[in-house]
Amino acid sequence: MNFPGSGIFKGMVVSAINLFGSYFDRAHAKRLITEQYPEERPTLPEASRSFPFLVFDGDPEKGIRCVACKICEKECPPQCILIEQDRDENGKLLRRPKVFNIDISVCMGCQICVESCPFESIRMDNIYEVSSYDRFDSLVLPKEKLLKSNEYYHSIHPTEAAETDARIEAARLKKEAAAKAAAQKMAAAKAAAEAKAAAEQSSQPESQA
Amino acid sequence: MHELFQKIIALPWDQAPQWLFLIPAFVMLMGAAAAVMLRNLIHCALCLTLSFIALGVLFMALGAEFVGFVQLLVYVGAVAMLILFAILLTPAGEVAASNNPLRNFKFSRAFAAAGGATVALLVLVSLLGAIFFSPHARAVVPPAQAAIAPVKAIGENLLNHTLLPLQATAILLTAALIGAALLAKEEKKS
Amino acid sequence: MNFIDLLKRIPEICKTPETLPLEGKKLILDFVTWLGSLVGIAVPPWVLTLVNILVVIVAIIAVFLIMFALMSVWERKILARAQNRYGPNRVGPWGLFQPVADGIKMLTKEDIVPRNADKVVHFIAPIVMLVPALILPVLLPYGRGMVAIDLSVGILFFFAVGAGSEVAIFLAGWSSRNKYSILGAMRAIAQMISYELPLVMSAVIVALVAGTLSPTGIVEAQGGYQFGFFPNWFVFTPWGFVACVLFYFSALAESNRSPFDLPEGESELVAGHLTEYSGFKYALFFMAEYVGMFAINGLLVTLFLGGYQAPLPFLTFIPSWCWFFIKLAFLAFSLVWVRATMPRFRIDQMMQFAWKFMLPMSFAALFSAAAWHYAGRGLLGWGISAVLVAIPYFALGYFCFTRHHSADNRRYLFSE
Repeated sequence: MNFPGSGIFKGMVVSAINLFGSYFDRAHAKRLITEQYPEERPTLPEASRSFPFLVFDGDPEKGIRCVACKICEKECPPQCILIEQDRDENGKLLRRPKVFNIDISVCMGCQICVESCPFESIRMDNIYEVSSYDRFDSLVLPKEKLLKSNEYYHSIHPTEAAETDARIEAARLKKEAAAKAAAQKMAAAKAAAEAKAAAEQSSQPESQA
Repeated sequence: MHELFQKIIALPWDQAPQWLFLIPAFVMLMGAAAAVMLRNLIHCALCLTLSFIALGVLFMALGAEFVGFVQLLVYVGAVAMLILFAILLTPAGEVAASNNPLRNFKFSRAFAAAGGATVALLVLVSLLGAIFFSPHARAVVPPAQAAIAPVKAIGENLLNHTLLPLQATAILLTAALIGAALLAKEEKKS
Repeated sequence: MNFIDLLKRIPEICKTPETLPLEGKKLILDFVTWLGSLVGIAVPPWVLTLVNILVVIVAIIAVFLIMFALMSVWERKILARAQNRYGPNRVGPWGLFQPVADGIKMLTKEDIVPRNADKVVHFIAPIVMLVPALILPVLLPYGRGMVAIDLSVGILFFFAVGAGSEVAIFLAGWSSRNKYSILGAMRAIAQMISYELPLVMSAVIVALVAGTLSPTGIVEAQGGYQFGFFPNWFVFTPWGFVACVLFYFSALAESNRSPFDLPEGESELVAGHLTEYSGFKYALFFMAEYVGMFAINGLLVTLFLGGYQAPLPFLTFIPSWCWFFIKLAFLAFSLVWVRATMPRFRIDQMMQFAWKFMLPMSFAALFSAAAWHYAGRGLLGWGISAVLVAIPYFALGYFCFTRHHSADNRRYLFSE
């Protein structure tokens, strides 16, 4: 039915349906889709990411994967990573970081550090409640806060963590195989050398003879 | 303390409305004076509005509610807004000193003051004459009678005794309105 | 008289809800007399008059400010629900204390005055805005015998005092020295003056039929029931319905509410005349807008919806003042409903609507009301007046608001 002003009535009916529908039609997924945040937490998708963290295996002191190679520090576009290499008592450089800071107020979550890390030691976290009353110090995460176990990594990104573990395992196996091969080669070479030496020893008298 | 309190209470407060009219009267005069004397045109118009409001309050204090409210409705709601709009919509108008021939005349200020005073005096004299020599001025109307049904009385008077002038005014206003609309439209086309 | 007697009267008063506010006022006056006797003074009558006035003023201001606070949260809730959101639900149960949080926020904000602003006028504007808005509710009859000032020219009072808000908007816009402010103020004033005509015209129609300008008299004229059940409200006559709708839309425009909120159109004018206001002054403007909105809707209830009269005879056991506020709450709800539905007008559409539709329709309703009156106010008059408003409605609707050319024969300009 069309008469002057009928559009207004149609519109009023639509808004009334939505108004009262939101009280009765609650189960319907189309209405009231707002998440009541502090009470209801979102289930994050597996690929969600926020800021980087450091992975360790077993013990946070000994199992830290990072070797302080500083590739991520150089690659980081907003330059939010600060790394200092650790030294032992003799002043010799060690393959672990002494300081590893990430300023998450600068970090843009680009994941380039993760892509560039050759030791699978830095990965993306999915924390999101990192607000604080202080603009500076509490937003610079030190090594102690960044270190998280491999189990945690498995809990937030299971697929990716499994792939990483497989890769590490493969690398380890390859290394072992290489070592074995090298050992075998060495052994073979040694054996060959010995054999050669033995042959030489045995042939020498012949030639001398 | 107690005595003072009782003395204050014993003052003739019941007669307060009879001298309370001084307040709107004072506000009205001040507003009118400020409207003449202030430099900023918008401030002048606002002071004039204040004086209109005070005049309306004065009418109401005299028991003429209808006239008071019409004063507010017409003068504050329409005339004051018209004045303000006119000031805003006309090109900002400080007349250049050299363009004004009167400015260069020697005693221009004195002549202007004298002329203004003469006009004001004439208006005052004619008003006083109208008030004192009109036959209605002597007839004392009891205030109770004025307040009975003023709206009905005014309406009947307007539509019986003064119907012709009323209609003539209406036609005049309509003609003015149409003329204004025409003028506005012409300007738009060109 | 002693204090115990006064206390004993409280339960008695509560037994008769119909006259509760009036009796409560009498009780306060007796309490003042008792206080005087305690000090040893016979309280003179002018003190009692003063106390009487103060009680009424305090009651009206308190009721309207509480309504303003509740409305501000209710409006947001309804709007949210119409958009399938939850709305404020954090402060207190169901977000009911949201106005408290808003108020604290407003009061603790910095009050910024632009450097080039006209500081005195900038300061006065919110006061000039709020004072008329708070004066307006005194003339509404809230219940039987419950009117603060029973003016014989009440309707006129309403429009006369309401004119003050136009001045206030001009003051606010001009004193801010901001082009958005002054543009918004000019728009607001142009809009309010344009819509004042249909507003006053539709009130005039009611005054014509009721034969009085007093709000109490108009409400009394709508008392009683046709055929024993049908209320004699003016909204249930054809001319009354049209005038009521016209009044409703004019009231929307007068109180600058959606869809007529283009003086504050964010997309083009930032916030109109409110651009340079912050903190408490902004809160005053906000408050004045809402109180004025309640007042003008209270007038609508008085003029067309039978004021404090019950809609059906057997519902008269509910006190009359409750009926007034129920109707007012319904209107407040409908305002938000309209706001949730309609987009903002364009300025030329708004002006066109006012001058080409609302004004002719209000004249048509005037003629229709006269016909209804002279045809004996019965069914015959009902029919005649229905025809008299229907013809102009469809004619205006067809000639002014129907598109007579389709998109095909639109001529494209060179730039397109």
